[in-house]
Amino acid sequence: MDMVLQAIEFVFQWQNMAALVGGSVYGIIIGVLPGLGPSAGMALMIPIVLKWNPATALIFMGSLYKCSNYGGSLTAILVNTPGDASNAATILDGYPMCEQGRGNVAMGISATSAMVGGTIGMVVLICMAPWLADFALKFGPAEYFLTAILALSIIAAVVQGATLKGLAAAGLGLLLSTVGFDVITGHLRYTFGWMIIEDGIPLIQGLVGLFAVTQALVLAESASSISRLSKLSGSFWEGVIIYFKHPMAIIRASLIGLVIGVLPAVGQSSAGLLAWAEAKRESKHPETFGQGDPEGLLASETSTNACMPGDLVCTIALGIPGSVGAAIFLGIMIIFGVIPGPLVFAEKADVVYSLFVSLVVTSFVIFIFGATVAKHFAVFTLIRNEIIVPCILVVSLLGSFAIRNMMPDIMISLAFGIVGYLMLKGGFTPIPLLLGLVLGEMVETNYHRALMISGGSYSIFFQSTISKVLIFLTILSFAGPYMGPFWKTLTQGEK
Amino acid sequence: MKEKFKLLDVQLKLALLIIFGFFFFYAIPFPEKSRSFPQLISVVSIIFVLISLFFDFTKQEIVHGEIIDVDDAEVKILDDETKRARKRRFYKAWGIIIVSSAVGFLGGFLFSSLFFFLGFTIFFGEKKDLVKNICIALGMTALIYVTFEIIMGVPLLEGILW
Repeated sequence: MDMVLQAIEFVFQWQNMAALVGGSVYGIIIGVLPGLGPSAGMALMIPIVLKWNPATALIFMGSLYKCSNYGGSLTAILVNTPGDASNAATILDGYPMCEQGRGNVAMGISATSAMVGGTIGMVVLICMAPWLADFALKFGPAEYFLTAILALSIIAAVVQGATLKGLAAAGLGLLLSTVGFDVITGHLRYTFGWMIIEDGIPLIQGLVGLFAVTQALVLAESASSISRLSKLSGSFWEGVIIYFKHPMAIIRASLIGLVIGVLPAVGQSSAGLLAWAEAKRESKHPETFGQGDPEGLLASETSTNACMPGDLVCTIALGIPGSVGAAIFLGIMIIFGVIPGPLVFAEKADVVYSLFVSLVVTSFVIFIFGATVAKHFAVFTLIRNEIIVPCILVVSLLGSFAIRNMMPDIMISLAFGIVGYLMLKGGFTPIPLLLGLVLGEMVETNYHRALMISGGSYSIFFQSTISKVLIFLTILSFAGPYMGPFWKTLTQGEK
Repeated sequence: MKEKFKLLDVQLKLALLIIFGFFFFYAIPFPEKSRSFPQLISVVSIIFVLISLFFDFTKQEIVHGEIIDVDDAEVKILDDETKRARKRRFYKAWGIIIVSSAVGFLGGFLFSSLFFFLGFTIFFGEKKDLVKNICIALGMTALIYVTFEIIMGVPLLEGILW
């Protein structure tokens, strides 16, 4: 407890608060630009923070990391383009709210989710970090494989009425993730001599194409603006009030986020989708999910924000990063002499707890930013399409280009744009494809590792209790959309 | 039956079948460990698409009934016109995207940016707003140059020509 109090005192020193606010603002800007995610943002800042006090530098980087996720939510809500794969679930209900002119309400929910989800996640992390790290260690390759399959099965909930289309799209995503060097054998697959995809199909370029280019094309078809009503209704504070009217949804989403967060490599994209599907399953009006239901937005946003602290548990306590951003963060910690591992809580407790406290404060900074600055962003949804379309294209394609400074990356994004557009017109949603692309490597690597451990026996996937629970949840997820009507017929059939 | 093949939904599923089949057969010469996963996913995905196609072709009567129910000539004419207008705007947008990207390959991304803004504001905007829209296009390009080239060091002026 003393350590936490000392950390609070340290974080509120002016230079640390300046680092925190600076990192937060920079993180939001980075997050808003599709392609320039937290990893690129942190990498760009390493030379600048190298001369700083380690704790101050980590506070800056931690705030940047956390806020970039919020920045990604803003674009997901406003222009249907997630800043990062972790914001994929946000578009499901966030963007439809904007189309209905309720962008301000969505902004309120998003900022409150960042504050509440982030705070719950951090407080639990501070109290339970060692226990959560032990739980993560119980996961072997088979469990990781099944967790990824569970995340993919959520597609059944995401595309209700088109489950098979969703699964086919996920299959395409998984197959595209096999392009490039095979991580197990080093064999080159499906590259056709094209060097720029030897390391795999670049995720961000794919994401930019699937969402930003597709969205730009859809908007270009009509002459109006994103908001179909051409006016805004509701306010930021209405979103805040709506948020607190759903305490159970908040708790459920936070728990899902925390648990997913401590599992290395499962990532925030899975957390958001899982929480969204769970909120839909529990809702009295599941048919409104995906059509601008505030409950769907708050579930996905709260879970994603609660996931980030859990992600940090593995990074700090075990040295196992849960995402690319966390991997960069891990590198930065090592640069500053904070060697991750179970002993870090004893040897560098001052730095670690300062980081934790600063992340709680960052959650509130996000809310203040949302209430004062971001709420005005909703007017972007009223800008006419001839202005907003080139803005979306230029900023997102620039993000795609800036990662490797290669023009062919723009071709990849445009190709994904065509795929996304055709999918949308054909009644497919691009989200399962993205999820397949994100989780593909993890699924394949752990599939092979599990079989290597078991000597080729598939029984390894059914042995542990965790595996059994995951299989049960996967079956439930597949069958869920079909069981609803069946259950209704069974219980109301006699009436 | 023939009408079904005209649906984009069905065409996409058939395209997916070809893609999954390609992924399966192209993997045959790969080492066993490199091919097992993509082949497994291909087979499972093909099964999903086939089931989906089966449902598409067996629910013919239901779809036909729905089309007959919406027998409103006025709505249909309006819808066709909107569809044509949307198609025209879509092709125009793709034209601008292709030209702007090609210009970027030649002179650098900054030129792409300028062409994107000018293209959309000139071809999609209203004539009375032309001057205002061109000013916006130039302003946005300048902003992008300052932010990305000068501040962040992204090489926006590197193309095939220089």
